[in-house]
Amino acid sequence: MSKLKLSGVSKAYGATLALRRGDLEVMAGEVHVLMGSNGSGKSTLCKIIAGSVRPDDGRILIDDTPVTITGPRSARAQGIGIFYQELSLAAHRTVEENVCLAALPAKARLFVDRATLKERAARYITLFEGVSGEGFSADALVGNLRPDQRQLVEIMKALASEAPLIIFDEPTSALDRAQVERFFEILRDLKRRGRGIIFISHRMDEIKAIGDRVTIIRDGETITTLNLNETDAGTVIRLMVGGAGDMPASQSSAPAAVDAKDGAALTVRNLSGSGFRSVSFEVARGEILGFGGLHGQGQSALLRAIFGAGSIGSGEILIGSDRFDAASPRDAIRRGCAYVSGDRGRDGVISGRPIIENVTPIHYLRDRLMIARPSKLRDKVAPALESMHTKFASLFHPINSLSGGNQQKVIIARWLIDRPDVLLLDDPTKGIDLSAKADLFALIRQLAADGLGIVLYSSEDAELLGNANRILVFNGGSVSRELTGPERTRYNLYQAAYEAA
Amino acid sequence: MSRVTSFLRQPIVVALALIVLLLYLGALLSPGFASGAQILRLLIVASLLGIVAAGQNVVILGGREGIDLSVGGVVSLSAIIAGNVMNGADIGILPAIAACLVAGAFFGLLNGLGITLLRIPPLVMTLGMLGVLQGLLVVIRMGIPSGQAAPALSRFVTQPLFLSVPGIIWLWVAIGILMAFMLNRTVFGHRIYAIGSNEHAAYMAGVPVRLMRIALFMISGMFAAVAGLCLLGYSGSSFANVGEQYTLTSIIAVVFGGTSLAGGKGGYTGTMAGAFLLVILQGILTTVNIDESGRQMVFGATLLLLMMFYGRGRAMRA
Amino acid sequence: MAEIATSPTYRRAGGLRRLLERYPFLPALAIVLVLLALNGIFSPNSLSYRSLTGLLSTYMALILLAIAQTYVVYAGDIDLSAGSILSLVNVAIIVLMERWGGGAGAVLLALAIGLLLGLACGLVNGLVVAALRLQAIVATFATSIFFTGLALYILPVAGTPAPTIFWRTYGGRLLGLPFVFYILVGLVVLLAVLSRTRLATQLLAVGDDQQAAYQTGLPVVAIRIRGYLLCGLFSALAAFCITGDTASGDPLVGGKMTLFSVAAVVLGGSALSGGWGTVVGSLLGALTIGLISSVVFFMGTPSEWQNFVQGLAILVVLMAGVLAGRRARP
Repeated sequence: MSKLKLSGVSKAYGATLALRRGDLEVMAGEVHVLMGSNGSGKSTLCKIIAGSVRPDDGRILIDDTPVTITGPRSARAQGIGIFYQELSLAAHRTVEENVCLAALPAKARLFVDRATLKERAARYITLFEGVSGEGFSADALVGNLRPDQRQLVEIMKALASEAPLIIFDEPTSALDRAQVERFFEILRDLKRRGRGIIFISHRMDEIKAIGDRVTIIRDGETITTLNLNETDAGTVIRLMVGGAGDMPASQSSAPAAVDAKDGAALTVRNLSGSGFRSVSFEVARGEILGFGGLHGQGQSALLRAIFGAGSIGSGEILIGSDRFDAASPRDAIRRGCAYVSGDRGRDGVISGRPIIENVTPIHYLRDRLMIARPSKLRDKVAPALESMHTKFASLFHPINSLSGGNQQKVIIARWLIDRPDVLLLDDPTKGIDLSAKADLFALIRQLAADGLGIVLYSSEDAELLGNANRILVFNGGSVSRELTGPERTRYNLYQAAYEAA
Repeated sequence: MSRVTSFLRQPIVVALALIVLLLYLGALLSPGFASGAQILRLLIVASLLGIVAAGQNVVILGGREGIDLSVGGVVSLSAIIAGNVMNGADIGILPAIAACLVAGAFFGLLNGLGITLLRIPPLVMTLGMLGVLQGLLVVIRMGIPSGQAAPALSRFVTQPLFLSVPGIIWLWVAIGILMAFMLNRTVFGHRIYAIGSNEHAAYMAGVPVRLMRIALFMISGMFAAVAGLCLLGYSGSSFANVGEQYTLTSIIAVVFGGTSLAGGKGGYTGTMAGAFLLVILQGILTTVNIDESGRQMVFGATLLLLMMFYGRGRAMRA
Repeated sequence: MAEIATSPTYRRAGGLRRLLERYPFLPALAIVLVLLALNGIFSPNSLSYRSLTGLLSTYMALILLAIAQTYVVYAGDIDLSAGSILSLVNVAIIVLMERWGGGAGAVLLALAIGLLLGLACGLVNGLVVAALRLQAIVATFATSIFFTGLALYILPVAGTPAPTIFWRTYGGRLLGLPFVFYILVGLVVLLAVLSRTRLATQLLAVGDDQQAAYQTGLPVVAIRIRGYLLCGLFSALAAFCITGDTASGDPLVGGKMTLFSVAAVVLGGSALSGGWGTVVGSLLGALTIGLISSVVFFMGTPSEWQNFVQGLAILVVLMAGVLAGRRARP
């Protein structure tokens, strides 16, 4: 029986089309996986179902009856529960209050029925007993919990909706293996009870373990729906990335060694800090050093710490042969260090401001400028943007008018006016399209050839294999394996990443 | 959206249209309201508010709930300091200017330090500072006799200086040009917008966020001090709490100028229009023959109505 | 964002921290006790039963206004019109009580209308801020001007006296105890009841993260409006107390109290950004403001310095309140 059916659902934000044509059918008693690369429109689709995003077009049917969802409340009333990827928790409330927040049990209509609330919340809290970790209790404040524990609370909150259809938008990204396993047991139980479940994850093994069918979304469009036991990972990935995804990147195409005659650009010795411990490596001038491993194993934390935006406990960093411990990004920039984050919205884009002002801040700092004369700046900015093939109508249009990929090019162009010695790339291609990626990596290789030392962390194996001369695989905050020369294969990367996790 | 409608929706266009509308309305209600002399009088009053609003403007543009509730206190304090330092003599004007600017910068510095180093929310910090300033006013007023404005200062504010326009209006125009230059053509200005629209990204791009924020509050204090000085010239002698009204009206002027209270969006040209708009509105209400209660009710209701034209919050459902 | 297990971002709550988490108003309580002690040192007489009763009846209005402000601050909003609602209700009940002859029935009826008026003002604020989505700080400033105008319309100049029965009761005794004590007890019970309502939790959840609360399915707009309604209601109660204390009507009486009410909320350890706070803290915060003026007076501060010292002391405790509050919350 069809629990939910979407057809031709679309959503645009201004000029950006977040979802072009979303089709989806979820049956009762199945775990339906949604797959697609970042920015393909999965989350938008989920939020439309859950009522927090208003669709521009399309039809939604629940139990074969057309419905209109006017908001999250109405979605709930029509039997839809959701786990939000970005979580929807109140940090200053307790675990049990959060679990029951959507429908606080009432006494005399006005008062919170504490006893019922405790009892109801306990039902979901006990589901994760034993795996929820130290410090987790019904009356703990959510803001005091670890990220994985918060994710558990959001799961409990979604479960507490007791909705016939529950959406889980990347519910496992911070969970450890035991927690995931427990969660899957719960999902299997829900399946048996005839609930419909939409599940999003980027981990292929999880999808295999729990999913029944998969719907693949690419560039905001539903491509197809497949039976998971009739297909394999390769097919799914090919469908996800489209035609251009057929790159034979199982073996590295980057040279295994570079001329290290110029010496080290960046040396890190025994560095420990919040999120990583005892990391040592050296990047030669002209070398691209890859950081691999599952998401959130300390790669970003380490890169930020080197850039002066994180905390360092012990160890030392050298740029060239000089000791380098940046107190702030400002300090790091002055001394020739550059950092590009994949989280553009948070770390990069100065939203609402003209493109030119998004390119110039580093130049202002390194040239100690006081006056910003557009005519002069244009001569510096234009070549930097051109070298990335950035598409824009005018330097004075707001950066928000560009696509994600072009925004990221603008952010990278910042670093090209005054060349740094070291370039730290923190998953720089997150959510940008393939042609922008190609431009980006062409530039990165060029920069390496010009003698920069480059560290590249990427959550996509193909990017690492295609560009890195060496790869350090991170696991649990430290380097678990170094892949050099012919060891740089997709298989080794995958295996090292999953080793202890 | 077509080019025309997007042009018409710009806050400054809205403000200018409303200014024309209100002037017309004023002329209907009271003949001579829109005469040159009367408009100049309104502009003098508007320039006082506009100068305070310049400081408020940069603080708000800098984001992170930036707001300066202490400006009213600084205006009063500066008027009193200036009155006592110059005490009716032209020779004392320069020392008075220096003293006022130092005082304004000092209290701005205190605000900035509390907000950046102790991370006290601006609203709380400047609210507390307002209390301190008000206390200080009492001390000064009781300790020393109230001062007089120097004749040259009064002339500067009230008498025509050049092209039959008083000096203070020229000063306001100069500040307007200076602000436009600072916000659009200097690194400092670009950094104000950067920290206002995405503080973290600005930090990651090497903007000295804390120093910037301290500087903004100092600028705010100094503009309030300049306004206090001019206010002394306008009223002739200093009395307590002359500046009180500027605290919230300066914020309204900034909002009516199209600057978002969330920071990072807006500019000073709009604020100038906003300040003038506010003063015309008050001017009309004093001209028409209704009592104080009616005037306040109409003023409050009109403010609400006008706010509907400006940056309403975003709906929660995207 | 995924962090790894090796980075224990979970902060083990120490004893003090846990205590603060549970009772965020403890720093405010400590400040109140210190101020009481200081009062006692400078003037032992100030701790007498009589003086404390006087202090309470003078500051009961501010206490209630601070509590009014707390409910909107819970949801991350602010109400700069609370003081003018107080003024409006003050003059409205004064005029009504006088017009109806000042008997007990007239007083009660006037009070009922005062409450409705407070609620109506709260509704206006709620609609303007939550439904029309205007910025709370400027929109409630505009409504404050409107309410003040209305107050001036009802009573253009300060002065009409309150009926004797009204202020005698407020300042008098009942069964041997000062009447304000009954108000305080009643208030504490009311606050305890309100803190158990679903609305209190919902207001805090909205203040915590408005978007998250919306996505959870809470009726955010309605909740914020209810916050403003509570604010209007308590502002009206504050007006009753000020009327009892001053025994007259004044259309501008509350103007200066608004900012003090905000200060009291911050002193009580609540976060202006919403999601975290207690009404008890605000009660203590308002008392702190009262006690500071009293200490400054009894210290023998020269009269011209009193306001300054008071302002400075409030600034210092405000900063302390913010810093302690931040330590307490996650």
